[in-house]
Amino acid sequence: MIRQIAVLSGKGGAGKTSITAALIKMMKTVIAVDADVNASNLPILLPHQRQATFPYYGMDIANIQDEKCIGCGRCLAACHFAAIQQTPAGHYRISADCEGCGACAFVCPAEAVVMIRRNSGSWYVSSLPNGTMIHADLTPGEDNSGKLITEIRRKAAEVAKDQHISYIVIDGPPGTSCQAISAMTGTDVVLAVVEESLSGLSDYRRLAELIHKFSIPHYVLINKAGFSQQIDYDIVQTAAHFNGKVAGRIAFNKDIPAALQNLQTLADLDIYRDFFNQVLKQLLFDP
Amino acid sequence: MVISVVSGKGGAGKTSLAVAIAETFRAEFYDLDVDAPNAEHFLRPEIEQTRAVLQAVPVFAAERCNACGTCTRVCRFHALYKILNSVYLTESLCHSCGLCKLACPEQAISYQDIEIGRIRSGKSELTGQQVHIGDLNIGSTRETYLIETMTRELNSSALCIIDGPPGNSCAAVAAIKPADLVILVAEPTPFGMHDMAQTEQILARLNKKYLIIANKAQDTALVSRIFQARPKQPALIIDLDERYHRANLAGAILSREFPALRQQLSATISPELNSL
Repeated sequence: MIRQIAVLSGKGGAGKTSITAALIKMMKTVIAVDADVNASNLPILLPHQRQATFPYYGMDIANIQDEKCIGCGRCLAACHFAAIQQTPAGHYRISADCEGCGACAFVCPAEAVVMIRRNSGSWYVSSLPNGTMIHADLTPGEDNSGKLITEIRRKAAEVAKDQHISYIVIDGPPGTSCQAISAMTGTDVVLAVVEESLSGLSDYRRLAELIHKFSIPHYVLINKAGFSQQIDYDIVQTAAHFNGKVAGRIAFNKDIPAALQNLQTLADLDIYRDFFNQVLKQLLFDP
Repeated sequence: MVISVVSGKGGAGKTSLAVAIAETFRAEFYDLDVDAPNAEHFLRPEIEQTRAVLQAVPVFAAERCNACGTCTRVCRFHALYKILNSVYLTESLCHSCGLCKLACPEQAISYQDIEIGRIRSGKSELTGQQVHIGDLNIGSTRETYLIETMTRELNSSALCIIDGPPGNSCAAVAAIKPADLVILVAEPTPFGMHDMAQTEQILARLNKKYLIIANKAQDTALVSRIFQARPKQPALIIDLDERYHRANLAGAILSREFPALRQQLSATISPELNSL
């Protein structure tokens, strides 16, 4: 059995990536996945060696061949994304808003629309001292991050099986939308990293509800803690309401950003090692 | 006039700076970080109006559908699947493109609106202006549609501040598109610089005028060194200061708490506004 652990946060900058990196460094063997594909930062913190690079193709996009186009305009009427414009010369052009649905190609009576493959980024298999990391760079501004996340998670499961590694740790994207959903679907446990602030609490409420919808057990790590008992209390209450457990707290500490600046993780700071061992124990062994 | 405040990395300080800018310039506010909207904790608007945002998705008339499977084959998003003699929709994958309806030989598909989120609007006493909050329904994957719905309604005769979503995805593009000026908030750290460079690619492609605010700087000399090799220098550097963190976490607006910061924001942004 492979156990999949997703680290998510709702609010950005809560400390997902630094905490994920620390957890990964403390593990004997692990498959790491960076699912924050359009702000991929885990590889910055984890020393790795790139083993293989794969192109990522998102949705095919439409292309109109002028020589076949009869100018009937049916494609324009069929497009729900306003992605087709007519030039002064009467030609039709597909813009960057094309989502690749193929409706224009379907309605074109002259077969003038072809769907063409588009490269939307790359993904990588890299070796870590204690395992493998699967990560990706989506071309900035591209759609279809969910599809890419699904693709790299599939690869991670494959590698875990081949190498007989029992744990996959996924560094998720911020928010609760399509990318977060792609990162969390089918995982065994979620670690929610929650910043002790009004914004952190509010975003955690949304995240906890989403995790609950997916019926995934979850833990909460309260980060940048120690300023507001009220907010801490509200986070704990929210966790209890959605069947989450508090895994621990990390107090606000200016040494942490300083360590990150030098590409050290919290696992490299002695005072946090026991703490992360405890958190890890809960994530790996608690059902 | 529209200013979008964005950043590749989350937690760089987008929302705290966006609300501070809105408060400094008494601007209308659009919270387009629709799956983690937080500006209201700072601006505290009196909500006067809540509207549902709808998007149409296919529904299948059982009496007409003969389960031929055409729709499931044409759908490039794999949003439709057939079990026995019925077709089902995976709503989270559907892009509402309309192709299944066009392709159905039995005219068994129609489109019906579902709620994907809400827009809440009201006046903030702190800015004296309207605040609009995009609130994506939990579990919905249609954040870009909600953002685009809100940007279509921008009151561009006034000064509007957009608080965008983090990251460099299509949602960020949607929040950048309507901007006359983009404020790129960057954390001068290895993460922040990596993510900022990706956002700059989007800004270049969209041909946007922008300025950089380096936020949470641990050391000014270090920031200059970090930016040395970059094509664009920060217009303003704000220190990593525990006082700012304390104010932020409780929902205080930095420009109200720290007049010197307000002065800096005003001095940095006013000339840009005047030149637009």
